[in-house]
Amino acid sequence: MARALDARKSRFLLGALVLAHLVVVSQQVDAGGGASLLERVLFTALSPFQRGVAAVVREASDGWSAYFGLRGVHEENRRLQEKVRFLELLLQERQQQASESERLRELLELKRILPVETVAAEVIAHDGLPWFRNVTIDKGLRAGVILDAPVISATGVVGRVVAVGPVAAKVQLLLDRDSGVGVRIERSRTIGVVSGKVGFADSGTTDLDLKYVAAFADVVVGDVVVTSGTDRIFPKGLVVGRVRSVGAGSGLFKEILVSPSARFDGLETLMVVRGPADELELTEAIR
Amino acid sequence: MRIPFWTAAAILVALLVQSAVSQAAPGYARILDPFLLVLVYCGLSGGETHGMLAGAAAGWVQDVHFGGTVMGLSGLTKILVGFAVGVGAARFLLAGPGARLLVLLVATVVDAVLFEQLAAIFDVRAYELSTGGLATRATLNAVIGVLLFEVVDRRRRRRELRS
Repeated sequence: MARALDARKSRFLLGALVLAHLVVVSQQVDAGGGASLLERVLFTALSPFQRGVAAVVREASDGWSAYFGLRGVHEENRRLQEKVRFLELLLQERQQQASESERLRELLELKRILPVETVAAEVIAHDGLPWFRNVTIDKGLRAGVILDAPVISATGVVGRVVAVGPVAAKVQLLLDRDSGVGVRIERSRTIGVVSGKVGFADSGTTDLDLKYVAAFADVVVGDVVVTSGTDRIFPKGLVVGRVRSVGAGSGLFKEILVSPSARFDGLETLMVVRGPADELELTEAIR
Repeated sequence: MRIPFWTAAAILVALLVQSAVSQAAPGYARILDPFLLVLVYCGLSGGETHGMLAGAAAGWVQDVHFGGTVMGLSGLTKILVGFAVGVGAARFLLAGPGARLLVLLVATVVDAVLFEQLAAIFDVRAYELSTGGLATRATLNAVIGVLLFEVVDRRRRRRELRS
């Protein structure tokens, strides 16, 4: 029994020794490729696991990097979009300031060459009823605005004050059907009356009717129409517009359409003439 | 005391809305009539007297701020419309959104037709609304009015329940 145990021990010991030697020897045997046999065996046996783990780790790492990268890109995109929005706003603001400055420069220039006293006013409300064309301005009696005072813009005649309060006034535009301005054709000195064109409220037309011009009068398309001063409201010589079309008409008078020189679609700052019209005599320099 | 206060406040709001819309989108303010919404609501909820008085006040405010050289045309028109709405509300059940939509459509059309007829009678040279323009105005007033009335009614009901 003891002998059998010793034999088993010894075989075990033999095996261990052989294995140890194999390990030691294999450590010193160059199996090609610079790797020992053990290394090759271990490489062969374990490298698939390593590859697997490495692949998983790489994928995870790539995913993680991509996630963070994407988050970064997303964040950067958001930041850039915000910046673009900010710059767009800034650009709009600058454009608005430039436009405002241009408008004020025009008005200042007009104010300088006008031989009459004027007061600048901002439009605070446009027409709210379909049947009339008028605007409300932020200047009234306290600023020296009086009833029937002519209202002009940098580009031409706008209308007249039809109602005035202490701090605001209502201006009837030339486009209103109830308006009327005494005018003359600058070239031929033919006189007539300009008023809002007959039409539907929502037709969007901004043409004016030039009425009471005799059928034989000398009027051609492109003629400049200026105020005549005969209505004793508007000073003489202010530009109203240009003749757009001339028709024969059905009776004694021609049918003439005038394109106003004032831009009614973008009225913002206007000038109200202070003082009675009959004392005014404007020069041609206004144009 | 509360009803006149709220009516005046509503007219003031209508003025502000009309002014704001006219500033923001010149030309488009003509297709909405917030003053009409005020008087129609007053007529529907308070009867002909309330509708008529609200119409008078709203019409005059509208005349003064947006009207032509002859004052009172909108006032007169809106008195008639406010009264008619009040009478209608007393005789028919006009509490539902559908009925209110119809009332607003008819009120807008009647308001415009009355105004144009009165302008012609008083020799006030005013533009006329085309059929399309009138339909747009009526539809817009009706849709906005129904939504607004619903909101106001809900608030009133909530306040009544609380009290």
